[in-house]
Amino acid sequence: MAELLRTERLAKSFRGLVANQDIDFTLAAGSMRCIIGPNGAGKTTFISMVSGHQRPSAGEIWFKGERITERSVVRRARMGIVRKFQTPMVFDNLSVFENMEIAVLGAKGPAAARRGRIGEVLDLVRMAEIADAPVKNLSHGQKQWLEIGLLIANDAELLLLDEPTAGMTAEETHATGALIRRLIRDLGLSAIIIEHDIAFIRDLHAPVTVLHLGRILVEGTFDEIAGDTQVRDVYLGEA
Amino acid sequence: MSLSRAAGGGRSTPSLGAVVVSENGAAVLTFAVLAGLPLVASDYAVFILPQYMLYGVLAMSLGLFWGFAGILSFGQAAFFALGAYTMGLAMHGGGVAGVIDGAYLGLFLAALGAGALAAAVGYFLFSAGIRDTYFVIITIALSIIAEQLAITQSQITGGGNGMFIDRMMLNLGPLGSFSLEGDAAMYYFVLPIAGLVYLALRRLVGTKFGKVLVGIRENEDRVISLGLDASLYKTAAFALSGALAGFAGALYATHASFIAPSLGGVLFSTEVVVWVAIGGRTSLLGALLGGIVVASLSNYLSAITPEYWQLVLGLLFVAVIVYFKGGVAGALAAMLKARRGRAGEHG
Amino acid sequence: MALGVAADATILTLILALAALGLAVIYGLIGVINLGHGAMLTIGAYVTWACTGAGIPFAAAVVLAGLGVGLVGFALEHLVIRHFYDQPFETLLITWGFFLVTTEVIKIIFGPTLHPVTSPLPAALDLGIITLPAYRVLVAGVAVVLLGGVAALLYRTDLGIRIRAVIQNREVASLLGVDIGAMYKMVFVAGCCLAGIAGALLSPILSVGPYMGNIYLVRSFFVVIVGGIGQILGGTLVGSFLIGGSETIFALLFSQVFAQTIVFALAILILRFRPFGVLTRR
Repeated sequence: MAELLRTERLAKSFRGLVANQDIDFTLAAGSMRCIIGPNGAGKTTFISMVSGHQRPSAGEIWFKGERITERSVVRRARMGIVRKFQTPMVFDNLSVFENMEIAVLGAKGPAAARRGRIGEVLDLVRMAEIADAPVKNLSHGQKQWLEIGLLIANDAELLLLDEPTAGMTAEETHATGALIRRLIRDLGLSAIIIEHDIAFIRDLHAPVTVLHLGRILVEGTFDEIAGDTQVRDVYLGEA
Repeated sequence: MSLSRAAGGGRSTPSLGAVVVSENGAAVLTFAVLAGLPLVASDYAVFILPQYMLYGVLAMSLGLFWGFAGILSFGQAAFFALGAYTMGLAMHGGGVAGVIDGAYLGLFLAALGAGALAAAVGYFLFSAGIRDTYFVIITIALSIIAEQLAITQSQITGGGNGMFIDRMMLNLGPLGSFSLEGDAAMYYFVLPIAGLVYLALRRLVGTKFGKVLVGIRENEDRVISLGLDASLYKTAAFALSGALAGFAGALYATHASFIAPSLGGVLFSTEVVVWVAIGGRTSLLGALLGGIVVASLSNYLSAITPEYWQLVLGLLFVAVIVYFKGGVAGALAAMLKARRGRAGEHG
Repeated sequence: MALGVAADATILTLILALAALGLAVIYGLIGVINLGHGAMLTIGAYVTWACTGAGIPFAAAVVLAGLGVGLVGFALEHLVIRHFYDQPFETLLITWGFFLVTTEVIKIIFGPTLHPVTSPLPAALDLGIITLPAYRVLVAGVAVVLLGGVAALLYRTDLGIRIRAVIQNREVASLLGVDIGAMYKMVFVAGCCLAGIAGALLSPILSVGPYMGNIYLVRSFFVVIVGGIGQILGGTLVGSFLIGGSETIFALLFSQVFAQTIVFALAILILRFRPFGVLTRR
């Protein structure tokens, strides 16, 4: 499979505090990766460097063969790197439909095509019936799904999902996993997912990268990671 | 099916659907009243109203930027004054060898100059990610600079003594030349212009550009993370609002026949903010009427009791900010929404 | 000659620092964009004029001005501002409304004309090489004392620690038992008092009029922003020095009004390239 994303010796420090160091990470197109690790391991900082919200202190990032280390958030989003934040970032004072209207504005093509796209996405995230609902009235889980909907509105390639199931019920979590798998399988998207919910990660059947103290500790399948003594020590040690 | 309802609507904000329909009605009513007013109003009213309509255009320029992009500018007066002085200079200059009328040249240069200045300042600031609150302070400084430049560069502007400008001629080429010296002539020249500006802005906010501005107002970071260059859109919106303000200023100059540096200063910029705040910042009609009505009231009541009216206006301003963020237009819309029951229904 | 210019510039810098200090405290510590700062200076000046007119000695009048503006600030904070701490735009507009209302009230009570306040120290200070206006030297001295006092309070006292804790992290501070509301109120009122004192001290230098304090409004903001928000002592001094100093220099070359234009333009440039102020390392 073609390589979609690659980082080389990626590092980030904030005034002496090392958030990430020596991150060599690759992701193939059309695949998923879960990133786990105790709090402060550098997961969100890593995602921020991929999305462009943080500039790396050292290292390089390649996306589809192009060096994007210095590119702005806007340009990366246009290339297809889209991000879901830890606290849902949607347009709270507008309706679901209005949210999608803004999201599809980045797409090329006539207005009719954009309207069609809104319908498709709303169907995918199962919000077609509540299109006119004000976002304020949505549940936390629904807001997260709306945010995912915003991300896939135009030609997304790499989804960066920061704790997509935080605050969700078990049922919502399960549905989110199904949604993500569908997006990967049917739309050919790729995803990097930061998560804490072990059951969710297991159900995704995706490879896992474990971060600890800013570095990659170990990578492998879920079963390999679950059985890894180093990982267990890190998690138990942190508790 | 909700999709067809959503897809069929050309409105930008279904939750404001009730407002849009009634705004359409209110707009028609407003312009109908304005069109018929000279038949019943006093001579003075017919004389002075074009000025207030131009204030309304100035207010709409702020309404576009503040109401839709969500960024407050205390600098609209600077662009207004720039347009006014440009018009004055162009008309004194007499145009270009009989080919281009001085007045038309003035109108064109006023809009272009003010728009270009706004674009330059906007790009300079927004591309650096200047926060909206800093932007407000900077626009206050810009107004102060504009007023001071108008005072100090007296060889160009006449300084504190101001500048006198003739009424322009409406030169329609083969259709002939019309004098605008008459009050009614000027009135019916300015009114359609105000109407056209209103219509054009209404259409604009329904386009992609308008929707991106709303997105920027609601959550700029999200807009950027979706691949839309927010700072370019903000610059464009600021440039447009500057050009509009300059254009209104140019027309004002030829109507009022006299302009002075205070036209570009902070106090006048404040008035514009007060008009839009009271009229309603998210409604273009609210901004327009805010400009026309509050300015007329100010003129009328100031003659009677200047300090008390300004005091009332100040208190009203604070009350609007604290309790009625949407101004009069917003309050009316809320009342209508409450009366129609749930928001988003066909209305 | 050069010494005279340097002394003038220093005095003007310190006077500007004094005028900006109240805003540095309010904007710098609790993030309130107080567009009513100029009005507060004006109120302080009017209180001083009214008091000295009634025979009260100047020093007492200054104190009364500080207390008076503090009281006004207390009312404003308690009735309105405290509900809007998390909405900077609304606060900005409300404080601007405060300026509009206050200016009109002043015009109604005192009329729109300018009133002179006699200087309590009209003499000149003869230091041999140069002579300086004694009163301005006094004001500059008071500026140094107040700046030092505020800095000492913030960095050397328990109260200061608590205030800085609240600013750094409201949640943690409240968990530790600090009364956030009271802290904010205290800081706001303190900033107002400082503005009142500044306005009072400025009244013999400028003519007391309804818009008197507004000359220092935009300047004070630039001082605080250029110096670095939150850097009460160093920032205010550096900002005042840059803004005030450059204005003095340009005023020698051009007119006073044009000098201000240039300085504002420069401040905007600095802001654009160093939005966190010249002192903050980013």
